[in-house]
Amino acid sequence: MENSLYHLNAEQVASGIRNRDFSAVEYISQILERIEKIDVKINAFVTVDSEGAIEKARSIDDRIQHGERIGGLGGVAIGVKDNICTKNLKTTCASRMLEEYIPPYDATVIKKLKENDAIIVGKLNLDEFAMGSTTEFSRFGPTRNPWNINYVAGGSSGGSAASVAALECAISLGSDTGGSVRCPASFCSVVGLKPTYGCVSRYGLISYSNSLEQIGTVGRTVTDVMMIMNAIAGEDANDQTTRTTPATNATSRGQTPKYSLQNKRNIRVGLVKELVEGADPVVSKCIYSAMDLFVGSDCKCEETSLKSGQYALASYYTIAMAEATSNLSRYDNIRYGFDSNPEEYEWNTYFTKVRSNFGEEVKRRIIIGSYVLSAGYYGKYYLKAQKAREMIKQEIKSLFEKYDVLISPTMPILPFKFGEKIDDPLKMYQIDIDTVVANLAGIPAISIPIGFNDGLPIGLQIMANEMGEQTLFDVASSFESTIDIHGSPKI
Amino acid sequence: MVSKDEIKHLGWLSRLELTDKDLDRYASQIDEIIRYFDKLDTVSLVVSEPASSMKKVSELRKDNILMFEGDPLEFLKNRKDGFVKGPKMV
Repeated sequence: MENSLYHLNAEQVASGIRNRDFSAVEYISQILERIEKIDVKINAFVTVDSEGAIEKARSIDDRIQHGERIGGLGGVAIGVKDNICTKNLKTTCASRMLEEYIPPYDATVIKKLKENDAIIVGKLNLDEFAMGSTTEFSRFGPTRNPWNINYVAGGSSGGSAASVAALECAISLGSDTGGSVRCPASFCSVVGLKPTYGCVSRYGLISYSNSLEQIGTVGRTVTDVMMIMNAIAGEDANDQTTRTTPATNATSRGQTPKYSLQNKRNIRVGLVKELVEGADPVVSKCIYSAMDLFVGSDCKCEETSLKSGQYALASYYTIAMAEATSNLSRYDNIRYGFDSNPEEYEWNTYFTKVRSNFGEEVKRRIIIGSYVLSAGYYGKYYLKAQKAREMIKQEIKSLFEKYDVLISPTMPILPFKFGEKIDDPLKMYQIDIDTVVANLAGIPAISIPIGFNDGLPIGLQIMANEMGEQTLFDVASSFESTIDIHGSPKI
Repeated sequence: MVSKDEIKHLGWLSRLELTDKDLDRYASQIDEIIRYFDKLDTVSLVVSEPASSMKKVSELRKDNILMFEGDPLEFLKNRKDGFVKGPKMV
């Protein structure tokens, strides 16, 4: 039913509940019914917290009844990627190793969402420990693409994008280490943002690659994504990599919201040719049409070059796997883990036995990470990867002296069928070619829907300079208003 | 060329049990991936210093002690009589 409450965007839900057009309980009940009906086909959720969601909705309705003020996301249904810690709610990382893990604390982003009265409806599927680009590496089975359930939803935040596209929640949180929010956003035709490194606290995000990853946001509109950022962005004493930004600083001085849409003109747009060259012709055609739209809306748009981009993928995977092997060494099944009696085993035998419960891709990355860090190869791979990263950062910095935003396809290919790339890891890694640059450089990047081909979505990636989220929102929103590809998948 | 023996050794260092089938599969896949990484060899070593931390050490937060709510042992799967169960040391 088109007039069902679960169709509403976060912005509409928040104002509907605030203005008493409908109650939070009415809305959340419809969302939970929708999840129950649809998720057997999509598999976006690992855990649904019906009880907690209804309880929170009741308390919001009560507060509204008593004339109390509610937060900016008051009553909005949000799903959370299952690698972000939620107090007393299972957080599995889609891994056998954390299958029964119940965190005793909330991640900073969760604390902030709760303070803003968002309603967490459940935890969302991902590739194990966020390592993958299709969500096929989940312990709980793959998430299916709502636009065609025979195709992958992208990854690693596949549940985050599919749930929003399939109207199972209004907005969601994901994490983006090399494109893990933008890839599924592109494949599922929703908006996905990877913020600047240091813009959002990572406290409570289960680490995979600390120097690259950021918690990101997914919504059906740019405004919705911006609303989540207004709730979660900002400095955090528990994450020393977070920084104060002009926008978050404004909030600390009592001026809210942090971000609000502005009509910008004469934007200078650079299309990064190296990131389009290898793309599927259908995708690159779509990107060049986008370039024409930019030109038609008073933007100065031209092709530009990122020469160091040729090293991006090798540099990214070397650094990510090196950091992964270190981060995953903590899983010994003593402090957290599943039920497995250690009494009969010797120390090393026990660890080797239990750690073999990591999945195929995680084990592969641990081994490669150990390889590139080993004494004989450290200089050849890890050190060179760090040098390449610095080269990329510097070149990106100089590009932003000429351009306000850089554009490219989000994904060089269309969504593909299950099993198509799962046995060829290098091919799988290569589909991240356009997204990893933003992680290496620490800059913000957003993926917005740009069109379809044979019913399969295509996304446009827009990148801005460090802490340039406001520019991204302005440009993405103005672009969003020029193309009409809204509508929901028929599931 | 990444050999099966190297993978076996790395598996042991990473405390991962690998079967012969795993070794065969990983050796060929990882060899292909490492060959791809070889393109990093052409990166000049005279590029500026690698990325470093953005924050000064003097800005670190205070080391506050937060008491755990409830009994932390309840979160563990392997426990007995108020102790954490672990494998034998010797």
